[in-house]
Amino acid sequence: MVFILGVNFHEQKLVKKALETFYALGPQISARVMAKHYIHPRAKMGTLPPKTVTALTAELSSMTIESEARKIVQDNIKRLRDMGTYRGRRHAMGLPVRGQNTRTQIATAKRLNKVERAG
Amino acid sequence: MQPTRCLLKRSVWKGPHIVPLPIVRPEPGKKIVPIRTQARSATILPNFVGLKFQIHNGMVYHDLTVTEEMVGHKLGEFAMTRKTYHGPHSDRYKKN
Repeated sequence: MVFILGVNFHEQKLVKKALETFYALGPQISARVMAKHYIHPRAKMGTLPPKTVTALTAELSSMTIESEARKIVQDNIKRLRDMGTYRGRRHAMGLPVRGQNTRTQIATAKRLNKVERAG
Repeated sequence: MQPTRCLLKRSVWKGPHIVPLPIVRPEPGKKIVPIRTQARSATILPNFVGLKFQIHNGMVYHDLTVTEEMVGHKLGEFAMTRKTYHGPHSDRYKKN
């Protein structure tokens, strides 16, 4: 088991995949972070030396990920809602925002489009 | 979010969509006369801040007082064109 930023990862998990479990950290940023710390793209969590693990944790804690990134998205939606725009209202109703049809197939919008958006 | 996101909306060389509106600066102390318009696609410019608009939604005119954060949006975003769907079982259709 390897700890990064308070999260427990299995030793057989790829480092790339482990980094991408954090919100707002995608393939591009994870590749950049791994290159910065000289980690092979297909390295697994078990092979990391403890020094690199602490360095990774320090690096991630300085980035805007997880709750900070979610806060940015929520603030943007809240701004639209407070102004009273069409997009803000559609978020509050949980309906598609960008003019999609609503007769069928709006499961994703119903799940995600909220003023206090979670995902 | 990419830093170029806002540039993807519209070509820079075109500039914002400017519609000639009958804007009259209200003199201080007098009542602000709302500007009645059907130009929903007009971009809200920084000099609109504080003015009152009446925006057409296809049927009636909706009132709007422009604030600072609305700059860059379109007038039509603030006048809803659709009725809210209440459904067949809502209270307004029930008898008595």
